[in-house]
Amino acid sequence: MSAIVRAEGLVKRYDRTVAVAGVDLAVEPGEIFGLVGPNGAGKTTTLRILATLLEPSAGEAEICGYSVIRNPDEVRRVLGFMPDAFGVYDDMKVWEYLDFFGRCYGIPAASRRRMIGDLLDLVDLAGKSDTYVQALSRGMQQRLCLAHALVHDPQVLLLDEPASGLDPRARVELRELLRELRTLGKTIIISSHILPELEELCTSVAIVDHGSVLAQGRVSDIERRLRFGAVLRVHVLADEAGLEAARAHFDADPEVASAAILDDGTIELGFRGDDAASARLLANAVGAGIQVVTFSRAASDLEELFLQVTSGDREPEAAA
Amino acid sequence: MTERPMDDVASAPAPTIEELSPDAAAMAAAPGSATMEQPAVPAAPPLRRPHPIRWLRRLFNGLTAVGVKELRGRMRGRRAFVVLTLYLVLLGTFAWMYELILEQRYSTTSGGTAAYASAAIGQELFAGLMMVVTLLVVLLAPAFTAGAISLEREKQTLDLLVTTPISSVSIVVGKLLSALTYVFILIAASIPMTAVVFVFGGVAPEDVIRGYIVLFATAFGLGAFGLFCSTLVKRTQAATVITTFGVMAVTLGSIFILVFWGAVTQPRFGETSGGLGPIKGRPPEAIAYLNPFLAQADVVCTTQTTYGSYCARLASLLNGNAGVIVFSDIGQPPEPVPMPAVDLSNAGGNVEARQAFAPADVVPVQQFGVSRNAFWPRSVAAWLVLSAVLIALSVQLVSPTRRWRFRLRRGRRRTA
Repeated sequence: MSAIVRAEGLVKRYDRTVAVAGVDLAVEPGEIFGLVGPNGAGKTTTLRILATLLEPSAGEAEICGYSVIRNPDEVRRVLGFMPDAFGVYDDMKVWEYLDFFGRCYGIPAASRRRMIGDLLDLVDLAGKSDTYVQALSRGMQQRLCLAHALVHDPQVLLLDEPASGLDPRARVELRELLRELRTLGKTIIISSHILPELEELCTSVAIVDHGSVLAQGRVSDIERRLRFGAVLRVHVLADEAGLEAARAHFDADPEVASAAILDDGTIELGFRGDDAASARLLANAVGAGIQVVTFSRAASDLEELFLQVTSGDREPEAAA
Repeated sequence: MTERPMDDVASAPAPTIEELSPDAAAMAAAPGSATMEQPAVPAAPPLRRPHPIRWLRRLFNGLTAVGVKELRGRMRGRRAFVVLTLYLVLLGTFAWMYELILEQRYSTTSGGTAAYASAAIGQELFAGLMMVVTLLVVLLAPAFTAGAISLEREKQTLDLLVTTPISSVSIVVGKLLSALTYVFILIAASIPMTAVVFVFGGVAPEDVIRGYIVLFATAFGLGAFGLFCSTLVKRTQAATVITTFGVMAVTLGSIFILVFWGAVTQPRFGETSGGLGPIKGRPPEAIAYLNPFLAQADVVCTTQTTYGSYCARLASLLNGNAGVIVFSDIGQPPEPVPMPAVDLSNAGGNVEARQAFAPADVVPVQQFGVSRNAFWPRSVAAWLVLSAVLIALSVQLVSPTRRWRFRLRRGRRRTA
């Protein structure tokens, strides 16, 4: 197993509720790993367990081979954590903030000064060194908090909803920053409920809902896997009877689960097949003389998949 | 998982952060090399065995980190120094006014020599100053620490702190010491003011040292109590309220219980012994251990080689003789400037008076059976023990993992 971050059967139980119900994760070195799920899915709890802030009720997690339960000190040295809701100290300047965390990690004074300069360059706050932390904008504070997590040059970064509350420009900047960090060899685990961002950024994702992982893997793998059950929209040039004939034709295909004619005259197919199957379906239709105008997937991005996978009506079985 | 994103890592520009903090990199067991190996399995660096020297260095690192951070914030600007100046002016004014009061009192009382009067003024002034500074410590020390941890929780900065490798001990002790630094400065700044009593005499330097030992121990103990409340309760407001109640319990509460004990155990008319259930005989001294005013009264008492009101008050409380001598004091906070109902200050040679007011069952080792240097060291010890316990509990509460669990399994690793 070549995972740098590994979780097996993580469970976190509070008095009555189960926040995390058996999460398994495997993140390989150098990945940007997205933890995706709706609010309350257990993303933050999972990250807090990995960050040694919470003890799991059951299960085991390792970062760089260190157990988060038995060797929290070692884990803390290889880990940078940026919490969801992070505060800033009043009465503290930007350089003092980083200096403080540098001291916490036992970095000697000489290299501390250089480290602060370089980190401020990295997160684009070089001119703000003497500004008070609370005077920074939200985006700047976010970047400063990211810088704090990099003080000790960790191998693994855990970022909990780093993009929340940022304007679009700040988001783009953050994304660039994370890409840069990846080129520096960091493994990044990032949680979000905002999908489009992760889709572009992440190499792998895990979709989490109700405390368990619903799907995990490379973004493309997941898409492929989840595309079974995708929706195809076909626009056919035909009159009423032709339309019905076309629908019947599609319905006869073994890969098609359902076929219905929508109000606007398009045919919607519930499709189980993969890309090859859908190409074959199209070819067959054209071969059968159906005049296909458009033939497309209704759900092509993660967001749609995500909504499919995490349909809100699922009962949290584990809560019992 | 066939493709690896590692290729672009290998060709990436030199990782600047690693270069610039080699120590951190070493600490993290060479992260660069670990991630760049193919297939990049970061072999877990061997665990370090716990080592006392390393542990101490880590503790010290953490303490300085927290201390520097806290003091930077607290001492920034002029505020801290303006407050200190104001405090000294007020304390000086109090000393001057109190001296005038005492002068007036002793110049009108007959029967003493000038040297005796001067010594008596010195002792009373010492007592007054000690009580005022004690009051200050009782009010400030817990107030300064009651927000120490809960404010971090409220501002959501505690998580950032806890995920660093600094130990919970460093966090708790660092917070406590830096919060108390200002209180310690206030106490220390009053030392020159207290030294004024040497002008009058009647107080030995050892007495002053005793008084300050009690003050520092009290500040530390009350600070630890405030900090404990701050870790126990999530909100600063609640922590402050609990702290205030605790302080009231050990000061006013303990005296009230002692007075109650004394009243209940007094034999009623025609009876040989009093009591109410288990409450009989002398009250346990431990009730008063945490009362800094009583500890200070004991220190003051040791200065009073002659009849002194502080000895009398202390003896009456601890011997369960409430109401015998200091009837007027019942239910009142003891200090700072109580007038004894019977002024015995210059009854030094008056053996009859002494015997009349001494509790019959105690051989007066010193006045009223208060043995010299017995009570205040116990009080100091009680505070230090309590502080240690409270700090240990606070550490447990701050530590996110392994709460209420002993570190027996530390350092052992599961074989992967």
